[in-house]
Amino acid sequence: MALEGFGLGLRPQHFPDILGDDPDATAGVDWFEIISENFINVGGPPLRNMMLVRERFPMVMHGVSLSIGSTDPLDMDYLAGLKALADLVEPELISDHLCWTGVHGLNMHDLLPLPMTEETVEHVAGRVRQVQDYLGRQFMLENASTYVTFEEDEMTEWAFLSAICERADCNILLDVNNIYVSGFNHGFSTDAYLNGVPAECIKQIHLAGHEHNGDYIVDTHDEPVPDYVLALYEKAIDRFGMVPTMIERDANIPPFAELVRELQGVRRIVEERRTMVLA
Amino acid sequence: MNASLSDLQKKFQDRLLKGETAIDAHLTDGGPFMKAYDHAYKARLVEILTEEFEGLHTLLGDEQFFSTLSEYVDAFPSTEKSARWLGRHLPGWLKSSERWGQQPVVASMAAFEWMIGLAFDAPDAKLIGVAEIGKVPPEAWPMLTFTFHPALNTVELDFDVSAFYQAAKAEEDPDGPPVAYEQPVTWAAWRDPEAMIVTYRPLDLDEAMALKAAREGQTFDGICEIVADHTDADEAAVRAAGLLRIWVESGWVIGLDAEGMSW
Ligand SMILES: [Fe+2]
Repeated sequence: MALEGFGLGLRPQHFPDILGDDPDATAGVDWFEIISENFINVGGPPLRNMMLVRERFPMVMHGVSLSIGSTDPLDMDYLAGLKALADLVEPELISDHLCWTGVHGLNMHDLLPLPMTEETVEHVAGRVRQVQDYLGRQFMLENASTYVTFEEDEMTEWAFLSAICERADCNILLDVNNIYVSGFNHGFSTDAYLNGVPAECIKQIHLAGHEHNGDYIVDTHDEPVPDYVLALYEKAIDRFGMVPTMIERDANIPPFAELVRELQGVRRIVEERRTMVLA
Repeated sequence: MNASLSDLQKKFQDRLLKGETAIDAHLTDGGPFMKAYDHAYKARLVEILTEEFEGLHTLLGDEQFFSTLSEYVDAFPSTEKSARWLGRHLPGWLKSSERWGQQPVVASMAAFEWMIGLAFDAPDAKLIGVAEIGKVPPEAWPMLTFTFHPALNTVELDFDVSAFYQAAKAEEDPDGPPVAYEQPVTWAAWRDPEAMIVTYRPLDLDEAMALKAAREGQTFDGICEIVADHTDADEAAVRAAGLLRIWVESGWVIGLDAEGMSW
């Protein structure tokens, strides 16, 4: 079964709404995304509640600590935990970010930017292949928001992402908000980005809100998805067709019903778009 | 500019951890928004720890709490894949730190909270019931050893911090400061198997010593000897068997073994 429709990030404060008696509470939510690290090597209420949600909804797994771009060796203990979780959850898709999180055995708990060079493409693609071999399935990389680029850069971000996916034979989780944020911070064309990535590799889309600091934007996921990100999303689905899409909210988390309403708004955009195209 | 990936990552990380500026020359236009990464590192780690140590936060107040966490984050750069484990070293560090070592109530609170966190989300495991104890043949008892549930954890506390902790969690005013013990007291925390609610209680000295030995793989015979130091010799086996029954009923025990004997 392939993933379809619209999803939300699963957050612990929403368990009572999702698992409660009111089936309308989740109306219009087709699937959930979990943060993989929150369920690796843990049990108790968090795992039990997540698995209760899993009984009722398809799920995707999204990681933050793989550190695919790090020059440290891949952490095989972490990968073993990820694989065990995947065996339990049976997710439709598994993803992490195109970034690095630390070197020399340390973790900065942040999605750090990579120099966009041939050396990095080769390094990351090789590691993605290793991960895919180990998990026995295709993996997805998400474009992260970045705040700096390097003098060493040899290509655009979309060329970088595309080259890795082609060489590793992996897929893309396209975060439309992150394209907007990085585009603003570095002054690149978001249209060129959308036109520069391989449509057939895009299997999931993230939408989120952010914090405008005047001369730069920080990817905070603490606000509703702004209209100008939704406008970019419309362009994305015009180009890629309907790709399973979700809203990420990691801070300033509103009541579940509010996120459901926001997601219904995204669904309407897609449906209106589709009618327009058909007409 | 033509630095290798590993060189750039080392320099980047040194900026986040130590404020070193060698990376700046490699950033486009000198990296005007590098501050977004600088601020994120420490702020994020402190924020995560704040959620894990509410009792400590109430005990120390904002200023002392945040400056202590900031020192801790500097002393222990994270080696964890999940931020869940960032606080792992905090109780031990507080106990031996120059700043708080002389005020053991601080380490007691942190240790207590960390133990409760472990009980909450430790991996699940299949428990054994009292009926399974009844099936153990008499000849197996002397060498019987026990495996415990991962959610069961113990700490030795210099202060009784439980009431203060509960008030802090409930965002109520504590009745008073934590009270010092004359002798350190061992507390256990675990997860009630059915309700999945974290439960905790202080242990009598003989139970604490017996449990410690049992968790280290001591046999039932050995546990009886430990208990005998605290009671009449002929009552030791009864007391040890009684403790075992409580442990099993509480959902602490997940395995029995007697040198590979099967029954
Ligand atoms: Fe995202």
